Amino acid sequence: MKKHLTVNSLVMTVTMILAVPMVSRASESPKFRERETTLCKDVFDQNIYYEGVNQLDLGRWGRKIFRKEIPAANVNVFDEVPDSSFFTNRHGRRRLSNEELAKGSAETAGPDLSAPMKITKGKQQGLHPGFFIEDAKGDRYCLKFDNEGSLELATAAEVAASRFYHAIGYHVPQYTVLRFKAEDITIGENAYTYDDTGFRKKMTPEILEQYLSFLPVTEDGEYLASASKIVPGKNVGHLSFRSRRQNDPEDPVNHRDRREIRALSVFSAWLNNNDIRESNTLEMAVTENGKTVLKRYLFDFNSAFGAAAGGAKPPMFGHEYAIDYGEITKAVFALGFWEKPWQEKWRRAREMPHKSPAIGYFSNDQFDPEDHKAQLPYEAFRVLTNADGFWAAKIIASFTDEDIRTMVKAGRYSRPEDEDYLVQTLAERRDLIAKYWFSKAAPLDAFEVLNGKLVFKDLAVRHGFVDGNTIRYVAEVSRPGKKKKIAALESREPSLVLDPSWTAEGGKAELRIRVVCGEEESPYVKVVLGGAGVEGVRHED
Amino acid sequence: MTRKCRNIIRVALVAVGIAAFAGASFAQQDTYAPVYPNGPLKAKRLKDPVSSLLELPFRLVKWPVDKSLVYIDNHHVADKAIYIYDRMKEYGFTPHLAFTDSAILPLMGGNADLVAVARQKEDYPDLIATASLRYAMDNRFVVDSEIGAQRIGETGFHSSGTFNFDHRSREPFYGIGPDTSLGDSSSVRMETTTLGYNVGYEFSPTLDLTGTFEFKENQLKHRAHKGKGDMTEIFAGRDIPGLYGGEELSWKAVLLRDTRDSHDEATRGSYQKLTFKFTEGVDSGKARFFTYQLDTAKYFRLGSPRRVLAVRFFGEHHDEVNGGEIPFYDMTRLGGMGSSQRTSETFRAFTYNRFYGESALLFNIEYRYAIWEYRDFRMNAAVFLDEGQTFNEFSAFKFSDFRESYGVGFYVSHSKHTVLNISVAHGDEGTKFYVKNKVAF
Repeated sequence: MKKHLTVNSLVMTVTMILAVPMVSRASESPKFRERETTLCKDVFDQNIYYEGVNQLDLGRWGRKIFRKEIPAANVNVFDEVPDSSFFTNRHGRRRLSNEELAKGSAETAGPDLSAPMKITKGKQQGLHPGFFIEDAKGDRYCLKFDNEGSLELATAAEVAASRFYHAIGYHVPQYTVLRFKAEDITIGENAYTYDDTGFRKKMTPEILEQYLSFLPVTEDGEYLASASKIVPGKNVGHLSFRSRRQNDPEDPVNHRDRREIRALSVFSAWLNNNDIRESNTLEMAVTENGKTVLKRYLFDFNSAFGAAAGGAKPPMFGHEYAIDYGEITKAVFALGFWEKPWQEKWRRAREMPHKSPAIGYFSNDQFDPEDHKAQLPYEAFRVLTNADGFWAAKIIASFTDEDIRTMVKAGRYSRPEDEDYLVQTLAERRDLIAKYWFSKAAPLDAFEVLNGKLVFKDLAVRHGFVDGNTIRYVAEVSRPGKKKKIAALESREPSLVLDPSWTAEGGKAELRIRVVCGEEESPYVKVVLGGAGVEGVRHED
Repeated sequence: MTRKCRNIIRVALVAVGIAAFAGASFAQQDTYAPVYPNGPLKAKRLKDPVSSLLELPFRLVKWPVDKSLVYIDNHHVADKAIYIYDRMKEYGFTPHLAFTDSAILPLMGGNADLVAVARQKEDYPDLIATASLRYAMDNRFVVDSEIGAQRIGETGFHSSGTFNFDHRSREPFYGIGPDTSLGDSSSVRMETTTLGYNVGYEFSPTLDLTGTFEFKENQLKHRAHKGKGDMTEIFAGRDIPGLYGGEELSWKAVLLRDTRDSHDEATRGSYQKLTFKFTEGVDSGKARFFTYQLDTAKYFRLGSPRRVLAVRFFGEHHDEVNGGEIPFYDMTRLGGMGSSQRTSETFRAFTYNRFYGESALLFNIEYRYAIWEYRDFRMNAAVFLDEGQTFNEFSAFKFSDFRESYGVGFYVSHSKHTVLNISVAHGDEGTKFYVKNKVAF
């Protein structure tokens, strides 16, 4: 007994000695190194470096040859993405009200114009120049503008698109539409800017006047801007779409394997935001409960819808990467006799964007959910699996036409026709994306055990993409981890009758359910049943 | 425990199961809870160790490139460079960077617009006063200057005087006529000084007639140089006119019509350049000959501006007058990518100045098509065929002397200005690669 006590004491002592520094380490906030990136670096890394070294990745070749996928690593047992500093389930989890959709992440109504806004510095980085200002309340904002002849194009797109990204679940700064007159803006004491020369210059009334003289004005003679509120915390750089921050305990998974990062390609295809890239993200270190944590933001949405730097979106955007080796190779071998989809679309549009300058170049002609491309070929977007795509499409499909209109309205388009056109285009594109990804997976969701049956929703039927009378549901039942089939089920309704004995005595059953339409069988969705009902869901990658 | 008891327990358990299934729905589960299939989340490697090792040398390059690019962006280096370039141009100085015709060597220098330097551009917009200098190490040194007016008194008349000094340290020479051998590789150091006076009339923006009076001094130095033999030794005993240079006077008339929509990336239109020239040796110089030249090209859109067929014909003939001779350095030259007065004409599978002759016929046909477009950037691919020959007298012309050159090229342009031309051409003397910042025609 004494011996036991001695051993126990020793173990406890050692544990405490080991545990003390661990506890102290845990309570310390990690120091986050700044991750720098810029447009040029992004273009070099993604278009040149990784395009090259990816060819030396033996695992990647193996996956290509044997058609293996990399499953998302951060999905829970129900095939969902739990809330994190990257993503918060919003509309996909619980329908947001019209007020919530319209408000987005906005905390204020925008800059307070009760006193002139003070310019603190010019914004030259990124594709759209602008100003950083401080308003009467001391809140800081970044103002960005439209190009001459494109009033509302970039500003409205940015504000409206921010509502979409927020409702989907990403963290975004507050964006509001701001109309102001020349007398509403003044120059702060130490304001400076970098003009076209690239040299730092003190902001002077002449520079401001010159800048404003190039901006389009509304019919009321007001300037129009998108005002993004500066997010709190210390800027520690940009979010990598590839690797994790190793010293961040809340960042345990490489970002390439995060479903919400991969799915950015699907959401951005919906919003036609081809400028989604690492340099349009932010990681902010904030203190919560005495601990420094990172909050990840997406920002800069003024290349969404039909907008791009300089005006209407160039016709190849969304169809090709900035440097698209695959498309170039195809074009070389086609000897000029292959008209690319974007070229055909552009020809049909008589090489003109939409007649309304506020719309730019945005339509669903030649839109292909499978082939839509962001500006840069991020590997995270390429490894998107069918399950990831289904997850994204499920969220997109959760937005009704009315929801879309509510968010588009946040852009405050002055012409109702422009608002109607955008709502219609986005609704059509929502359906195209949802229909495509629902066809690439078993589009079944919301599994529940009810009255001895496994009931679920068929999202393809529910959204009218498939006639419910033409399909049936088949399931193979087995024990988890075992190949041997213990039963087969079939139903014409979205429910399957269960045998209670499968889950009796603490047993578990695994159902691989497929949707059969004629001869075609969908990929499976795996549902694990146990004593507590549905214990796991996983769509086939 | 008796069997009966066990059976009762089993039945009870099944009953509990049934009750669970038959009952109302289970308590609502949180399907978004951070409960993961394999316990707490763990990072998987992005790559296997072998692939990571293969990437390692490239990572060493990536780091400085990334750092440089971030520095360039954060410090607005590109804006500064463009601003400095524009300001230099405004003050009359334009830097020049290209590649030499004979090798992939940087040809650097600059151009000074003396009117702009004197801040007189606004008062005298038509005044020309330029000086330029270009240098390629161990290859070429060129000084050019021009003074005159590009428009006299609001008319189409223009006039200018020119000075040019051109030093080429290894001008290749392989013999004269179609039957020469690449093995007879020789080179000569050539220095040309030219003084000229031009007067002309511009009938319209697309049509111009210019007359030129020119004095030219050609100084040659023969030596074996960098693997190439001494011309006087290799061609000893053969009649090579102008072997020791000389001075010349020439009178020239050039009629030029140019309707191309762009010089570098023409998709329609054509140009025709017709030249008539008389050259006469000065002092004891024996040169005395006429030159007739037609250089013409046409660009056809094949249903789209993205598909262009470019066809060029170049023909030149030199005709001796009164027993005069045609120095070899005044003869027509074929070979290389270049297409200018000072370099040999486009015959891409052959080295620069590969063929010399009193006459030449050259056909270039090129199919260009767009393969990449991104904003104002564009890349065209081109498939081309060159057919040409040099010969002396028309009586010596034979169809069988035509030589072929064919290949492919990739031309990158920005706002219709070629920034990079990478071409490869093949012919019966091998394969030639080119990296240029201009297109052949």
